[in-house]
Amino acid sequence: MFELKNVTKKFNSDLFTKEFVAVNNLSFELKMGSVTGFLGANGAGKTTSLKMIMDFIRPDSGEILFNEAMGIEKSKILSNLGFLPERPYFYPHLTGREFCIYMGKLSGLSKSDIDSQIQKWGPIFKIEFALDREVRNYSKGMLQRIGFLVTLLHDPKLIILDEPLSGLDPIGRKELKEVITKVNHEGKTVFFSSHIISDVEEVCQNVIFIKDGALFYEGTVEKIIGENSSGMTTITFSENDELSKLTIDSDKVNDQLMKLVQEKKEIIKVSRDRPSLEEIIYNVK
Amino acid sequence: MLNKVLIIASYTAKEIIKSKILLNTLFLGIGLFIVTFVAYSFSYGDPTRVALDFGMGCLSLSSVGISIFMGVSLYYDEIDNRTIYQIISRPVSRGSFLIGKYLGLGSVLFLNIVILSVISLILYFVLGGEYNSLILWNIIYTVLEAFLCLAIVTLCSLLTSKVFSVIITISLYISGHAISGVKLLTFVEKRPALEAIIDGYQFLLPGFYKLNIKDFLLYKNDLSLSYLFSTLGYGATYILALLLLSIFIFKKKDLN
Repeated sequence: MFELKNVTKKFNSDLFTKEFVAVNNLSFELKMGSVTGFLGANGAGKTTSLKMIMDFIRPDSGEILFNEAMGIEKSKILSNLGFLPERPYFYPHLTGREFCIYMGKLSGLSKSDIDSQIQKWGPIFKIEFALDREVRNYSKGMLQRIGFLVTLLHDPKLIILDEPLSGLDPIGRKELKEVITKVNHEGKTVFFSSHIISDVEEVCQNVIFIKDGALFYEGTVEKIIGENSSGMTTITFSENDELSKLTIDSDKVNDQLMKLVQEKKEIIKVSRDRPSLEEIIYNVK
Repeated sequence: MLNKVLIIASYTAKEIIKSKILLNTLFLGIGLFIVTFVAYSFSYGDPTRVALDFGMGCLSLSSVGISIFMGVSLYYDEIDNRTIYQIISRPVSRGSFLIGKYLGLGSVLFLNIVILSVISLILYFVLGGEYNSLILWNIIYTVLEAFLCLAIVTLCSLLTSKVFSVIITISLYISGHAISGVKLLTFVEKRPALEAIIDGYQFLLPGFYKLNIKDFLLYKNDLSLSYLFSTLGYGATYILALLLLSIFIFKKKDLN
């Protein structure tokens, strides 16, 4: 959907302080149709990168290219793109519905299209009951939901979310993850930054991990986990009503299972020892 | 593009109106009414002239005050609160955003001036004042003055902090009114270099004094149409130039 080529961004708060490199020669490509997690510690350069992708700030060097499916002109690209900023702020005196209509109109939707989109997404985000309240009376979770709703209002091909799950309770996170999976199944590409690694592992096929503003890893979640797995498998079995565990090389699992069965032992569980994405990332850090 | 500008303007006005700012205008109007009536009651000679002077003066000051103090937050808060991300992540150019916000607050300012003018003029006519076309021109110039202040504070808020923006705009407003009087001082007239500096100021910086026609309204009751229209053109051109410069800067600005 888009590609970053050697993008660098430096900040300099004043003439007397040293330049700070927020993003350093960053290159990666976002595959169409995927859910990709954008990982990195606080201050790694995730939000700065997203701001450059959205053209809120400009890179000092390098370029960001969108593919033809997104459009050539900036207005066309933006009409195919939905963006949810981190901790989204809204106009406090507008109601949720007014805000949706405002954003929908800016995206070129007709009133009837906006209404049908609100009818579609309102119940999914469980926000329809609050649409006629002023946004200043919304809780943090409700703000995140209305923000997500307006992000999807114009049916974008690419959805970019900056820390969409932060600050939500477990139920809220689960529901938003379900929406991410749902829109991906509808053919949309999702790119979201997060520091909650377990969430990324749960919903993403691909992951881009940056460290100190530079690319550290780019690839599938399965690949990074596979590369960091021990290659061992643990067989849990029962013998004389006592549970025992046996950890062996994964290549020898079938032979070992046959042997245990022949010995009349009850196989309880066979599990491949694989680290979670979180464990891998923490080791890297 | 115009459609997007109008959408942003209408929702900006809606948000401001719902924040009950016009309630303040109503209180301001009641205050204006009382102050004007008191000034009328305590004056001798031509009390209706005093009522008109007070009314138009308060109208000008309040509309400039609102334009500066609300205008300084118009863009600054959008960037600071990141509400701007919700808008410019859609197919909306930065120029449309800037003009839309300007017109949104401008329409509220206009409404504010209309309300205060009506209150002020009701009292003036009730007290026996007579209609003069310069009253209407004075109200038009008050709108122009408020819009000019809004354009100045808009430009400043894109370049510096809120406090500095307010200080710069108020300084320009005061000096823009005082500069014509300064030029008439003997001290200045005797110093050609100083006079040249003042001429340069008058050429470059906003000449608010041109928009002040209260003396003509109160004492002379006449002003040529060519002056009135050329001043209108001057104000409108100045506002347009400031907005174009603001758009140019806003397009280059990193929205952190």
